[in-house]
Amino acid sequence: MKNNQYIGEGWKHAILIIGALVVLLPFYMVVSISLKSQQEIQSISGGLIGAQEVQTFPVCTKMGMSEKTCTMKPYVYNYWFAFKKAPIARYLLNGLFVTVSIFLIQILIALPCAYALSKLRFYGREFIFSMVLFCLLIPVHAIALPLYVMLAKVGLVDTYAALIIPWTISVFGIFLMRQFFMTVPDELIDAARMDGMGEYSIVWKVMLPTAIPALLAFAIFSVVAHWNDYFWPRIVITGNRDLFTPPLGIREFRGGVDSDEFGPMMASIVTITVPLVVAFIIAQKRFIEGITMTGMK
Amino acid sequence: MHYSRAHIWFVGPAVLLMFIILIFPILLAGGISFTNYNLGNSSFEWIGLENYEKMFSRKTYIKMIWATATYVLIVVPFSVVIGLCAAMLLNSLRFGADIYKTIFFLPVMATLLAMAIAWEFTLHPTMGLVNSFLANGCGGIREFILGFHWLPWVNSNESWYHIACENNNDFPFWLKDRGYAIWTVCFIGVWQAFGFNMVLYLAGLTSIPRELYHAAEMDGAKSTWEQFKLVTWPMLGPTTLFVITITTIRSFQVFDTIEVLTKGGPSKSTYVMMYAIFEKGIQQNLTAIAAAITVVFIIFVILLTFFQRYVIEKRVHY
Repeated sequence: MKNNQYIGEGWKHAILIIGALVVLLPFYMVVSISLKSQQEIQSISGGLIGAQEVQTFPVCTKMGMSEKTCTMKPYVYNYWFAFKKAPIARYLLNGLFVTVSIFLIQILIALPCAYALSKLRFYGREFIFSMVLFCLLIPVHAIALPLYVMLAKVGLVDTYAALIIPWTISVFGIFLMRQFFMTVPDELIDAARMDGMGEYSIVWKVMLPTAIPALLAFAIFSVVAHWNDYFWPRIVITGNRDLFTPPLGIREFRGGVDSDEFGPMMASIVTITVPLVVAFIIAQKRFIEGITMTGMK
Repeated sequence: MHYSRAHIWFVGPAVLLMFIILIFPILLAGGISFTNYNLGNSSFEWIGLENYEKMFSRKTYIKMIWATATYVLIVVPFSVVIGLCAAMLLNSLRFGADIYKTIFFLPVMATLLAMAIAWEFTLHPTMGLVNSFLANGCGGIREFILGFHWLPWVNSNESWYHIACENNNDFPFWLKDRGYAIWTVCFIGVWQAFGFNMVLYLAGLTSIPRELYHAAEMDGAKSTWEQFKLVTWPMLGPTTLFVITITTIRSFQVFDTIEVLTKGGPSKSTYVMMYAIFEKGIQQNLTAIAAAITVVFIIFVILLTFFQRYVIEKRVHY
């Protein structure tokens, strides 16, 4: 019996390891290509990191740099050239700016609304809540075209505003916060009112602190979604490189896949993907909670 | 409950934005879809249902509906079933479950666009690991397993693998081949989505009370399969419904992989709806027809969610 169980466990691990290898295959490929030289990439040799022979890179010398600066190990060259070719730091900062702005505005708008919907009584409350429920059905990506037409009409295409505006209202955030606030006892709010707090301070000084766990989960959900979003930036950013978000930066590198060098391209992908993946590995539990939170409602 | 006028300032901005950003665009798309409006043209005419007629009669749009349906109908069942199997396997492990969970969840986290490019390289006909792995396996154990030679009805000299080996390693050009492209894109979709479903199922599994399994055993459900049928599957009903709905809605919206890998080709075999909206509406400036596709798309998504809510209310009560 006991032996049998061990065999069963062994089989399970065997299946899961094969699965894990398939899942990790593209990650391995990106990291490996970002380290190797072009010849090694094209002949699929050199294993994960390649031989790392010091060499002079022709693409680099063609750009007018001296032979000495262009002689280095492949992995150094790939990452150095990736940063040289595109303002990756700028893309990352754009990504950070856009995702953080979106999150802050979402909270600024959703939190008071959720508070009013759960704790204040006023005419039309039920109607507004059913409006929220209806809007939950609408995926913003699906209405990208009319949104684009509207933004184009007011001349906002190719601006930070265009990247942020469609996401300022998160009905999901309102819904989530409302459900959360429903569980906050009324006595807490009454006590705050007795102390002479106005409704505004109640929202930000009483309700906000109680909602931190839900907010954190929502933050992760929101930041991950918008950091990785490619569809919307692709539509509203048509040419201005200064506004590129990380996925658009990756896309730009992909431009000339057949002529270009693959090492620097993959190096840029690694650089752009790494921040989120590292954050995920460090705070795994929170991330999984935050991203699957949509399932817990 | 408290009476106050503060609510106007609390609810006002949200309601206004909901209207401008979510509700008005739907009406706008509906309106545009009955015209011949193009962004840039100042005038337009009402042309009734012409755009919709085009959509359901022209070959391109028929292909679009086929590609979208294929994608959804492949990715949803596979990513749900694989997600469930992975969750059940992990749940029964003695050790190591957390590592697998992290690995399987990585694709959900990583930027899909970047990963699409990574897959493009992995599946590249000459530089990719997949085809070189296949080519190196000619005549060996890989050919036996992946060529399905172990199935009694497969003739080992006629398997797809053997034929490819014979023809100078003529393995599929995964993304460039009309017959393979849509399946390859589906595969990437499943690869990306199943980890998310797995995590939802893991949460669902932990909420099943242990006693139910003991009770099932008392009733004679001894084998794992019988216990699964009697306890696990019914108890996971609500999770499954949710997982199916959210995966379906997401699959309908597939765009990143298509745009970067196939651009809807070869010969429109991967021309999914979101890509069609993008290509027609943004790149070719055919706003009206793209608006019609948008309307159909939104109707699909809303019907689907209503269907889910209906089923939840009717059936999934335990």
